Amino acid sequence: MKPWLGLLCALWLAGPAVAAPYMVSKRVDLRQALDDLTLAASNHEMSLVKVQPIDSALVKRGYDNPHVRIAFVGNETAVRWAEAADPRLLNLLPIRLSLVQRGDEVVVIADDLAPWAQEFKDSPGAPLLKALEAEIKSLLDEFVRQ
Amino acid sequence: MIRVALSTRMGVFLLAWLMAFSAWAQTAPEPALLYKRLPGKTLAQAIQDVKTAISSQNYTFVREQPIDSRLVPQGWEAKSVHIIYFCNFDRMNRALAIDVRAAQFLPCRITLIETAEGVELNVVNPAWVSASLGNPLLHVDCVKLKADYLAILEEAAL
Repeated sequence: MKPWLGLLCALWLAGPAVAAPYMVSKRVDLRQALDDLTLAASNHEMSLVKVQPIDSALVKRGYDNPHVRIAFVGNETAVRWAEAADPRLLNLLPIRLSLVQRGDEVVVIADDLAPWAQEFKDSPGAPLLKALEAEIKSLLDEFVRQ
Repeated sequence: MIRVALSTRMGVFLLAWLMAFSAWAQTAPEPALLYKRLPGKTLAQAIQDVKTAISSQNYTFVREQPIDSRLVPQGWEAKSVHIIYFCNFDRMNRALAIDVRAAQFLPCRITLIETAEGVELNVVNPAWVSASLGNPLLHVDCVKLKADYLAILEEAAL
């Protein structure tokens, strides 16, 4: 191993704890991935609220295509729950899913809720975070299975 | 010659990475959320003030919506909680080039909550998010983004 690579690894390990966002992938294009996500969301009593086409927005302005779109999904129950339990958690809603085209597959990355669960462990909204995390995992697992 | 050039480039990269790592590793714990209270303002006034502040900080307004838009029938949306999305395309392009997980805080967002005293502005602190992602280069950009958010919140509160 090159000495500088060893140094980088040592420093990396010595740094602050690193979170791991939940991510899944499958061999589809972005359009198909959005259709599949919409179906998976609907099976989890969620709706696709909005798609933010970051890829076309950047290309239109002369930047390279990052092949990224953001999908927002949610349901009314989670919003009312956050309003009642801890309105600070409204900042997480609707749920944001990043879709990244890499070659012939799409990677879907969900916001990492672990730091939120740690930060809000004593909040009345803590059960909502747990429920959201479980819901996101289940939704993405279904997306992969389709 | 090529080896020298390559090792010089690697050295520059390593130095930049080490500087960013050092800054990242030494940062004090970041708060998860940034807040600003706008006492006495209505939600409509606050929305207008945030839009003006976004523009004056060189960001582009993307959209504004009630928190439950498209989750409830039209006309039944919450009147007291709205979201404003905005972005700076140059910064967005740069952040995504550094680390595609930057999409976790794109586009930029401010949540406005109307209370009995006025309006509270809430922002997820991008430096808090990036501190847990483990990419020192991205963290540097997120610290700058946090400063922009704070400037927008301050200006909106004037």
